[in-house]
Amino acid sequence: MLIVTEPRKRAAIEPALVLLERESSAELPAKRPATTVLGAVFVLTRALAGVLWLGAFLLVWPEIVAEEGFDTEEAQLGGWLVSSVSGVGIFALFLLAWLIWRGSNTARILVMCGLTLSITTSAIGYFAMGEEITIRTTLMVLALDILVLLALSSRDSRAWSRRRSRATTSAGESPARDGAG
Amino acid sequence: MPHPRLAIPVYDVGMSGGTHTKSRARRSRVSLTAVLDEFFFIFAGIAAVWLAWLLLTESFQIGWWGILVAILFWGLLAYLVLPRIHRVLTTIYVPDYFIGRTRTSDGLLGDPINLALLGDSDQLHSAMRAAEWTRADPVTVRSSLRIVTSTVIRRSYDEAPVSPLFLFGRMQDFAYQQEVTGNPAKRHHVRFWRTPEGWLLPGGERVDWLAAGTFDRAVGFSLFTLQITHKIDADTDVERDHIVGTVLSHNPAARLRVLPDFSTGYHSRNGGGDSIRTDGDLPILDLRALSIETDGERSQVEAAIRGADRD
Repeated sequence: MLIVTEPRKRAAIEPALVLLERESSAELPAKRPATTVLGAVFVLTRALAGVLWLGAFLLVWPEIVAEEGFDTEEAQLGGWLVSSVSGVGIFALFLLAWLIWRGSNTARILVMCGLTLSITTSAIGYFAMGEEITIRTTLMVLALDILVLLALSSRDSRAWSRRRSRATTSAGESPARDGAG
Repeated sequence: MPHPRLAIPVYDVGMSGGTHTKSRARRSRVSLTAVLDEFFFIFAGIAAVWLAWLLLTESFQIGWWGILVAILFWGLLAYLVLPRIHRVLTTIYVPDYFIGRTRTSDGLLGDPINLALLGDSDQLHSAMRAAEWTRADPVTVRSSLRIVTSTVIRRSYDEAPVSPLFLFGRMQDFAYQQEVTGNPAKRHHVRFWRTPEGWLLPGGERVDWLAAGTFDRAVGFSLFTLQITHKIDADTDVERDHIVGTVLSHNPAARLRVLPDFSTGYHSRNGGGDSIRTDGDLPILDLRALSIETDGERSQVEAAIRGADRD
């Protein structure tokens, strides 16, 4: 099947806004792009790492209580506080991973905001405070953050989730055809 | 000859047409996320440059493992950082109207358009099949894996996909190729784009298809992107004349007309940094007189071609 589109004529001088919108009218990929899959898997991995961390915390919490000499009430309150806060965080990550997989544009932009904050924090630490970023310290985490930001901000990923979001909102429910091929 | 276009074309401003107010309202809503998206797109590019620098400095510090990190650095640079930088910059400075050149997925100038055709898609497919060309598979995970395995076990893969090039803002509709026996690095190939409705060549000629035919002569490093890719033969006219020659000799009903000096003779480089030379003539193959075989005949021809390939 051929999709014949009108040629996009460009004026000699065009406003910057036109440049921003050009890509949305370009070829729309039908299948879920690999970059979106990568982004969703990364957020899922973060969520699973959070579950592991919480499990480890609950295991060592009695030891910490014994060492620090908290009483029973303090121990209960502390344990409950930490597990509920991180529980909410982990739930949010699972939700975001699932939404990105489904093609939510809002979830994609939220995750990119988080990644940008994390990368900017590392950059400030590196350039302004002279923190070392090597393989032995945080290079791997930073590399993963940047790679996933590259993936989620790619044209494929953007076009696909925009189209999915538009289809979902205009239909009022999930689209009939799933993008997975 | 009647003028092919009588009405003034209406260019679509919104996503799916509609009234002006409607499309304007939709545009302003899209713009906010579009601005954010563009920010992340550029920010990710800058962050990737920083990451590449970190990897490079790290590779000098950790002894022999540094070689591995240096390979990682090249991979990051060639396949993620440079494409992103090219994409950002070419969006700004490469014109997006027809200049007789295709564009790569990074927005760089690609192979030259050196052939035009008249006829519907059935006639085109039939003519190419008759001229002993093989249609290339689309790029998928499966076909990519097959390229790797067929290279490793040295088996021929004559439907191997070709890389995407863009014209009118879209990827080629399909591509045809001819293998050079015994050498997977060399092949003839030609990509086809259907021209938009009512679109005229510079100068006012109406054609149904445009094509870019080039000859892959080796596998090597690209000059602009540092990626491993096919290098094309500089003299694109030889490949153009080969395509025209095979189609004409196998399709007696096909006619040829040439627009001399369509693109003034130029030499340039394509997206892979290969140089290109051409005399600038644009042949127009007229396939409209071709009778199309029925489906039954076609499947017979296909079966015969497949059978011949296996022997």
